[in-house]
Amino acid sequence: MKLFDLSGRKTLEAASPVPFAEWKDSQQGTAISLPQDVEVEELRPYLSSLTLIVLEFPVFRDGRAFTQARSLREYEGYKGEIRASGHLLPDQAIHLRRCGFDSVALSEDANVKDWEEQLGRYQFYYQNTAVSPV
Amino acid sequence: MTQPASRSVGHYQYEERDRAFLQERINEFEGQVRRRLSGELSEEEFKPLRLMNGVYLQLHAYMLRVAIPYGVLDSRQLHKLADVAAKYDRNYGHFTTRQNIQFNWIALKDVPTILRELAEVDMHAIQTSGNCIRNVTSDEFAGAAKDELMDPRIHAEIVRQWSTLHPEFTFLPRKFKIAISGSPEDRVAARFHDIGLLARPSENGPLFRLFVGGGLGRTPVVGQELFDSVKEEDLIATLEAVLRVYNAFGRRDNLYKARIKILVQTIGLEAFRKAVEEELARMDRAAYRLTPEHVAQIRARFALPDLKAPADASDVLEQHKKADPAFARWVASNTHPHQDEGHICAVISLKTPGDIPGDVTSEQMHGLADLAERHSFGEVRVTHLQNLVFGHVRKDQLHELWQGLKALGLAAPNVGLISDIVSCPGLDYCNLANARSLPLAQKLGARFGDAALQAEIGALSIHMSGCINACGHHHVGNIGLLGVDKRGAETYQILLGGDAGENAAIGGILGPSFAEDEAVDAVARIVEFYLGQRQKGETFSAMLKRCGLKAFKEVAYETV
Amino acid sequence: MKRLSRPGEGEILLLTASRLLDGRIVWLGEGEHWRESIAEATRFTYEDAGAALERALAEAEQKEVVAVYEVVAKDTQPPEPVTTREAIRAHGPSVHPDFSYDHAPVREKESAL
Ligand code: HEM
Ligand code: SF4
Repeated sequence: MKLFDLSGRKTLEAASPVPFAEWKDSQQGTAISLPQDVEVEELRPYLSSLTLIVLEFPVFRDGRAFTQARSLREYEGYKGEIRASGHLLPDQAIHLRRCGFDSVALSEDANVKDWEEQLGRYQFYYQNTAVSPV
Repeated sequence: MTQPASRSVGHYQYEERDRAFLQERINEFEGQVRRRLSGELSEEEFKPLRLMNGVYLQLHAYMLRVAIPYGVLDSRQLHKLADVAAKYDRNYGHFTTRQNIQFNWIALKDVPTILRELAEVDMHAIQTSGNCIRNVTSDEFAGAAKDELMDPRIHAEIVRQWSTLHPEFTFLPRKFKIAISGSPEDRVAARFHDIGLLARPSENGPLFRLFVGGGLGRTPVVGQELFDSVKEEDLIATLEAVLRVYNAFGRRDNLYKARIKILVQTIGLEAFRKAVEEELARMDRAAYRLTPEHVAQIRARFALPDLKAPADASDVLEQHKKADPAFARWVASNTHPHQDEGHICAVISLKTPGDIPGDVTSEQMHGLADLAERHSFGEVRVTHLQNLVFGHVRKDQLHELWQGLKALGLAAPNVGLISDIVSCPGLDYCNLANARSLPLAQKLGARFGDAALQAEIGALSIHMSGCINACGHHHVGNIGLLGVDKRGAETYQILLGGDAGENAAIGGILGPSFAEDEAVDAVARIVEFYLGQRQKGETFSAMLKRCGLKAFKEVAYETV
Repeated sequence: MKRLSRPGEGEILLLTASRLLDGRIVWLGEGEHWRESIAEATRFTYEDAGAALERALAEAEQKEVVAVYEVVAKDTQPPEPVTTREAIRAHGPSVHPDFSYDHAPVREKESAL
């Protein structure tokens, strides 16, 4: 796996994430992964002790994690790292960043150039997001 | 403030940043095509990406669907569409019910080049397909109709911009369609959209009645009123909130249950409203506020027509009508009252009986663009019934326009009448079809083509879809036809009593399906029955209510 | 994998696809080349078609075609698809005789059946 930096956070969290359901019992470590069908409100009591939340994309077409990420940033005020993991396309780089993702976990053979190119593509956007106002 | 004459009226005028944005979008798509060809993208990965840019793989070739935001084109754009049709397609285009134009014979390798040509006139194919927020549609008489409460196009443009490459709502469970009208007549079928907005002015600025969860397709549902009066400043916040609830909770396990209508049905309108209100309560409202300054900025980029007509324009029109009965008949069916006494809206039927509904040749497009330049401030609109509208025609020049239309073969006097048939492409072009719809539409058009007969029948709509996806809106036709596959044979179900407007209703299925020619005969008997039994001024739907579906059923199946 | 359609008496199977670059309908012909005309399509029995289809699917990327599948056709000269959908794919849209792939519009063919 290699990490691609979306937000310019630079020091990306190296800790291995633990599935949230498991982590809840032990509360060991500060990195979790979250499936798409969990509402992020459930994380509220624990957010201050987390430094990395990995949101999963079972398939790139399933866009629920975009709303999860935005809710974490906008509603819950989470300041730690949000990472995308799973089946993703470089064509989604901007969407990820603008919804509050910091990084994406790519496979070793992924073409980083495509991701970089996509990230630099648009000079302006038509809508506000709380993460990236126009 | 007067606008320079060269500015076309009716739609948002692009600025440099909008043009730069389009170029980037095309570069992006070009890269995607390249990655597909190099094998970096699989077909499964490429498909949603091409769809988001309006490219379908159809029965015979690729289809490119080009957006006509809120249905307004200028003459320069129409000339360009004509050029694209001639150069990259087979010399024609097909106008759809969602204010798009489709080219049916496109090669994938040409698409980036076509998109660059379209961008020269500020056109694009962004979000004309795929599971994202689609091209926003609006009222074809916007800014012109006498009955209008407010011009919906400014807000339609605001919604268009807001939805363009929205980072959160580009990978939704399913497509999402928004329509907006400023008329009490609801000329956009607001109740049959994922979100339908009816705008009205008030002392404190515009208000929006918001319907949610309407749609046709496999499960036709009439949208329900979510909010009665959304304030202008809350418009974007409210759309965000609805979309967030949908994106988080809409079903993704079953294609046929993924539209927002199913979510609203499943959890109920009250629970859905509560969820939306919770989103609104948590949202940083300042970040999503639609400010008066922003609205003013967008409004400033719309040029208005300088309406000047001679004082006797109406009299001249009356004289022309008296002198020419054929013209008078066309005026009776193909015009709509304008806000300005000296002007009128002209509807150009793309349903010449016997021809393919919605198809326009390249030569016709060029001709129409020239006529629009001369008679309607260079502005052409596309209707949700697959016709075109010239919004602001001087009454004293209407006759001249009509002659020009006749020369183009586009003067059929049948708007709103029985041969003004809405039809999807059906099995002749569509990958998903059960049956052909165009030949049936042609036969029905020819059967009722006689102008006097049509005038006698009066307002009556026929809508035709080649499968349950309902692209021809068969559920909302007074008479609806649906292609079904009966053990390999193409057959047609008849539905009666649909209505798309203020009295929104979904047609009831009459009974077992008919073969093509039987269906034509059955429709003819139904119409004959209506003519024979109707009371004075009674509409088809009203008579259907009075007599019941059963009476019509007996007539329809009489000799079969 | 989905089960193959079974041809009836006097019927055979053909393989078809759409060309990636231009979307044009093609038929698998001699030498496993994709051809534009149904007249050049190789005829398969139900028994042979499975393996041929699998091979065609495996080579689809390399041969730049998509949506590869089998079509049931009458074993005539040229073969004639049994469904209207495939007849329209083979001959062109029935509403535009001038776009016909073989100058024999589908509608006339049909009424002759
Ligand atoms: C030829 C290619 C076309 C294809 C493959 C296609 C496909 C589809 C599909 C799959 C749906 C149903 C989606 C759903 O309900 O979730 C749909 C709906 C629809 N289509 Fe098409 N369509 C095509 C052409 C057209 C044309 C030509 C028109 C306009 C005349 C059109 C207008 C619509 C409309 C208005 C709906 C929405 C019905 C609703 O509200 O649910 N489509 N289309
Ligand atoms: S209604 Fe069916 S047949 Fe007609 S265009 Fe839509 S998907 Fe195709």
